[in-house]
Amino acid sequence: MKKYKIKLDRRNFLKSSGMLGMSSLAPGVFFQELAQARPLNEPASSKNRWGLLIDANQCSEDCNACVTACNEEHGIEDFGRPTTDTQYIRKLNLTHEDSGESLTIPMMCQHCENPPCVDVCPTGASFIRADGIVLVNKHTCIGCRYCMMSCPYKARSFIHENLENQVPHTPRGKGCVESCNLCVHKVDKGENTTACAEACNKDGHQAILFGDLNDPESEISKKLNKYKTTEVRSDLGLNTAVRYRGI
Amino acid sequence: MRDKTDYIIIEFSKAIFIYGLVAVSFIGLGFYSFVTLEHEGHWLTGMNNQIVWGLPHVFAIFLIIAASGVLNIASISSVFNIKIYKPLGRLSALLAISLLTGGLIVLVLDLGRPDRLIVAMTTFNFKSIFAWNVFLYSGFMAVVALYLWMMFEARYNKFVGKVGTFAFAWRVTLTTGTGSIFAFLVAKEAYNGALLAPLFIALSLLVGTAFFYKILFWMDRGLGIPLGSEIIKRFRKLLIYFIFTVFYITILSHLTNLYVTKNHGYEFFLLFSGNIYTFLFWGCQMIIGTLFPLLILYNKKLSKSASGLLYASILVLFGGFSMLYVIIISGQAFPLDLFPGYIERSSFFDGVEATYVPSIYEFMLGLGGVGIAAAIYLFAIMVLDFTPRSLDNAATAMANVPEPVTEEKLEEEKESQKEVVGEKSSIPPDQKTTEELETDEKNKSADEGKPAEE
Amino acid sequence: MYKILSIKISLALFLVLFSGSSITHENIKHNIDASSGDKCVEPTDVMRAQHHIFINHQSHETVVNGIRTKKYSLNNCINCHIKPLADGSYPSVKTEEHFCSACHIAAAVKVECFDCHASKPYKKVAKKNIEDSSK
Repeated sequence: MKKYKIKLDRRNFLKSSGMLGMSSLAPGVFFQELAQARPLNEPASSKNRWGLLIDANQCSEDCNACVTACNEEHGIEDFGRPTTDTQYIRKLNLTHEDSGESLTIPMMCQHCENPPCVDVCPTGASFIRADGIVLVNKHTCIGCRYCMMSCPYKARSFIHENLENQVPHTPRGKGCVESCNLCVHKVDKGENTTACAEACNKDGHQAILFGDLNDPESEISKKLNKYKTTEVRSDLGLNTAVRYRGI
Repeated sequence: MRDKTDYIIIEFSKAIFIYGLVAVSFIGLGFYSFVTLEHEGHWLTGMNNQIVWGLPHVFAIFLIIAASGVLNIASISSVFNIKIYKPLGRLSALLAISLLTGGLIVLVLDLGRPDRLIVAMTTFNFKSIFAWNVFLYSGFMAVVALYLWMMFEARYNKFVGKVGTFAFAWRVTLTTGTGSIFAFLVAKEAYNGALLAPLFIALSLLVGTAFFYKILFWMDRGLGIPLGSEIIKRFRKLLIYFIFTVFYITILSHLTNLYVTKNHGYEFFLLFSGNIYTFLFWGCQMIIGTLFPLLILYNKKLSKSASGLLYASILVLFGGFSMLYVIIISGQAFPLDLFPGYIERSSFFDGVEATYVPSIYEFMLGLGGVGIAAAIYLFAIMVLDFTPRSLDNAATAMANVPEPVTEEKLEEEKESQKEVVGEKSSIPPDQKTTEELETDEKNKSADEGKPAEE
Repeated sequence: MYKILSIKISLALFLVLFSGSSITHENIKHNIDASSGDKCVEPTDVMRAQHHIFINHQSHETVVNGIRTKKYSLNNCINCHIKPLADGSYPSVKTEEHFCSACHIAAAVKVECFDCHASKPYKKVAKKNIEDSSK
């Protein structure tokens, strides 16, 4: 069932990429070139599936570097209204009800393969890109917030006020819904990292690893192969691209 | 079958003026709220990233549900062929259209980008219940408009049954669609269940009937359309049936949740934890909205009086509104459990009950929808003959005398229509107040002045 | 006969009102950063008529397919066309000093782009902020 779906996606994707002026490229060339940095004029491909591996053992409770880096990268302002302020990524502190065991992890959009937000979006503004990144197309988002109702991870925020001085690579404005975009501008440039992963590495925690889940040679795939990792709310069968270790 | 009811166009009167004024001021408030929110953003409302749908959505869904519910009265006459409701058919369809318009406008004006409505009407993701609902709602309008046409045009009266059946099927689907907005959300424990669809249908029948009765009562007092005891008796029965249906499905859905251990958290939160939702559920929905109306409807004296039934209807409307508030808001306020067994804390309100205090803007926006529904209704009854001249026992009985209709007879009737109009009023004059008499006189003269349109 | 007359009148009215004599492009003072090059990605008349089509198409390509070519990208427009004012700050999109607003305000065509998109060259702004803070 799952495999069938992947096939279907790829076929659709081929169709749409054909329509969108890919004819100038020789067929075949396009798929062989995808191993590393993708040229700017080529569309994202379902050969990749970008994801994160988050190691709860490495994450420290008093560190907020990933959150700060994310806010800076995407130009997220703080209006001093915690209930309505946007958060792409947040630190989640967990304490076991009985044993008192405590953990801390970053939580953000889990970039599901079968995202409920995409299912419910009436206009198709909430969509999953060929390479598995779940995004909001703010050109067609009407701000109905149905995706926020449907997200099991509370990953999305609604933009409650007029914004100015947005950063060029993360357009965002009043009346649309937004969430972690897996630093899609970095991915498209082939930087192979995200702001949160960069900040975490810089702080020496190395708790966030970005990579291609479809490439068996990538570091993330090797680690996923070696260690036991968990999907949050795996009972929902959404096949998330963000995996956790040590929870 | 040919509709033999005598319908009238309502003249401008004090009652119309007062209610028109209220409707217009509601629309003004709603418009002010919309402009402010559109300009400043939603931070002015009580809605936030935890409670994403608030009071405007309660208003909108209440109106939409009431819209499909009021059509039930027309369905009873044309689908189930209970003829006493026949004179109410036109009103029923009109109210359905006006309430639906009001509800949808609230829903649209609360969007983050209402200017992109055209996107919502042209770009569809057919896996989304919302996208279905766009078709269900607009289709409902079209079907009900067709239904009205069949009821108005004497030649097409014979199709009323068929179109009515189709409209009935459509409205059941529509309310299923509305319920499914919540029922198909996997993320939220409170909503997880297809039982919400039948619950919404039952609620729509209840709210629609109560709303219709409120209008009938107002017509009796404000417009001088006498309301007979037969109709009151019928509405009493309907209200009782529907209150019990809603009550039954409510109990059933909570029992289902109580049996499933993982849903105990939500049930405890809603039913026993003593927060605002507990209060609304037990106090407003169960006691004021269910128990009190039943006490009135089973009271020997009150159940037979027009005003007794009005009180019951108002309580039912209040209870229905509370019920929607409880379903919509409490389901969002109850925290998601990302990691079962763990206590979750974060700066994004994980693991804690979300707070929601509706702001005045949301309330005004909701009132705007009510105002629009009222304005459409008032305008329509003043330009077309939606309103039966009388609903007293004699009139409802007369409208329902079965009579085989042939083509020739139809032609004959057309001819005689002009003379008959205006003389049909079957109310003995001594039962009327002077004011009613005056309006009757006016109507008569107005009718005689214009030749009946055929 | 009156029909024809009324058509003529409305046609004349239309021409007077919408000929746009007061808002031709030439009348509007532009404020282009000439240091970034002397011509746009397409001939000027093509850009005047079709810039929105290019930008719309590119927006779809970028958001949905992740294609981030520079030509036709809105950021590219902004980087070239938005020039600092005399005091070194960048004009707000709400004023006519902003390249896009100069025409769009005059022609009363609402631009939605800057509801979400940056209206000022980002890197230059960031650099200036750093310079300012270091002073």
